[in-house]
Amino acid sequence: MMQVISQNTREKMKGLRYSGFGVYIQGIKSSLASRMAYRGDFIMSMFIMMIVELGGPVITLIIYNNGASFPGWGVYEVLLLQGIFLLSRGISFPFFMGIVWNTISRVQEGTFDLLLIKPRSILLMSIASAFDSEDLGKLIGGILVFGIAMKNLPAQPLHNWITFFIFFIFSILLMFAFGLFMAGLGIVWIGNYRIYDIFMTVMEFGMYPKSIFTKSFQTITTYIIPISLLASYPASALLGKPNTNVLLALASAIVFFLAGLWFYFRMVANYTSSGG
Amino acid sequence: MDGIVSRRSDTPPIFKAVISATYKENLAYRSQMAISIFTQPIYFLVQYFIWQSVFKISDTVSGFTLDQMLLYFAISSLSGFLNWDSAGTELQDLIQTGKFITFQIRPVSHIYYSFFQKVGNRILAFWVEMVPVIFFYILFGIDLIPAKPFWTVISFSISFVLSFLVSYTVGTIAFWLVKTDGVRRSILLFTQIFSGLFLPLNLFPKGFQKILFYLPFQFITYVPTRVYIGSYELAGITMPIPQIVFLQAIMVVIMFLVNRFIWSMGIKRFTGVGS
Repeated sequence: MMQVISQNTREKMKGLRYSGFGVYIQGIKSSLASRMAYRGDFIMSMFIMMIVELGGPVITLIIYNNGASFPGWGVYEVLLLQGIFLLSRGISFPFFMGIVWNTISRVQEGTFDLLLIKPRSILLMSIASAFDSEDLGKLIGGILVFGIAMKNLPAQPLHNWITFFIFFIFSILLMFAFGLFMAGLGIVWIGNYRIYDIFMTVMEFGMYPKSIFTKSFQTITTYIIPISLLASYPASALLGKPNTNVLLALASAIVFFLAGLWFYFRMVANYTSSGG
Repeated sequence: MDGIVSRRSDTPPIFKAVISATYKENLAYRSQMAISIFTQPIYFLVQYFIWQSVFKISDTVSGFTLDQMLLYFAISSLSGFLNWDSAGTELQDLIQTGKFITFQIRPVSHIYYSFFQKVGNRILAFWVEMVPVIFFYILFGIDLIPAKPFWTVISFSISFVLSFLVSYTVGTIAFWLVKTDGVRRSILLFTQIFSGLFLPLNLFPKGFQKILFYLPFQFITYVPTRVYIGSYELAGITMPIPQIVFLQAIMVVIMFLVNRFIWSMGIKRFTGVGS
């Protein structure tokens, strides 16, 4: 009897190991193991990633310390918004945004083919082999800013937190969509790492309250490229500030995500190589 | 003796060739450079919205009006384009792969070779990145006429050399460390922040400004940008433009000496086989 149970458990473990999640975990383990060969550099890089993330909040603090402010937003409210933005980035960059550099470098070297011949989805393989441990520094930076802001703001009711979590899931979804677009571009725009720059600059709009932009820009950042969902909507929800046209914004995020998936697989289908 | 003489007489054509070769090599990747035509206007627009919103509440921030603040960001971005270089990264790569050994037997000093590579690269960047961005600023209504054109040219030229020296000096770390990405990134980040690329330095807390005044970084972006605007002030210290440009020149000499000192220590540690 015991033997049957232990065999079942083993079968289950084996199943889990070879599932998509298991492959992903294996990718994380391999990445961490190889990065640990240069621990000093790893710690330094992670620290730098954290410091880089604090750039936006530092600018905010400097603005407020100079007696200026963003209309309708207190300093800790802006820091909360930026903390949410950094949290979203801190989750995306280490866990799946590595798909971008992984795709660009593999296409450039010709090793993208090696992922294509594996008996798994190319999307899963591209993500699993691109865990970026250094970017955990971004997550630490995000947690730090979010924590400091929350500590200095009044406690929020439960329903605000629930709405916030729903919006935050959309924020991550949006990041994933951005990753898909960039990775897709990396297939056709060979060796161009500056694709990141385009993305990072566009994302800058998400780091500040939506209200500081003109109406036309607000429309673009809500419905066309819904960057406002990255942080502005979740922060407003958590702070109990009114959010307008929420459903339209969420729908636009879903469309953006589906468009990202379509674009990525379309680019993969168009990919040609001579074997690296 | 003959060798030294002929090396000296050959020097200008070698560097002309380095500039020309780098220009042509980078021309193949001009589309990568051209991405700045898209990213810089967006970045500037974000800054515009931030500061327009801030200036709705106060007329001046640390002595800057909205127009001056936008001019600061426009000029500092141009300074960023002009000063960008990969000398440190390339030197580190050469040392770590051992390829640096080939420079030991070439009749040219690596520091000058690397500097003229930067010149070639930035000449291309001027046409591909800077000119379109300048047009964007003009269309945006930014008044790009420098307050003191002569001193502006001098100051930007000095900052060009200084940024190279800082980057190159950082590159020499590879003589001591096996993996230098983290250190290089951290120094690059601090250089960018403390040079005033992201924010005018006089917006930082007063105590911090005093430290920044004595570091070389302000001479890379903040000083040339302030020279362009026509007034200099940091940590409560105001200076006439010629005086701050003179200090900038002294900093280049100091940085060069520091670089040569570190280089002379580092080169003794270098070993390479084959390559």
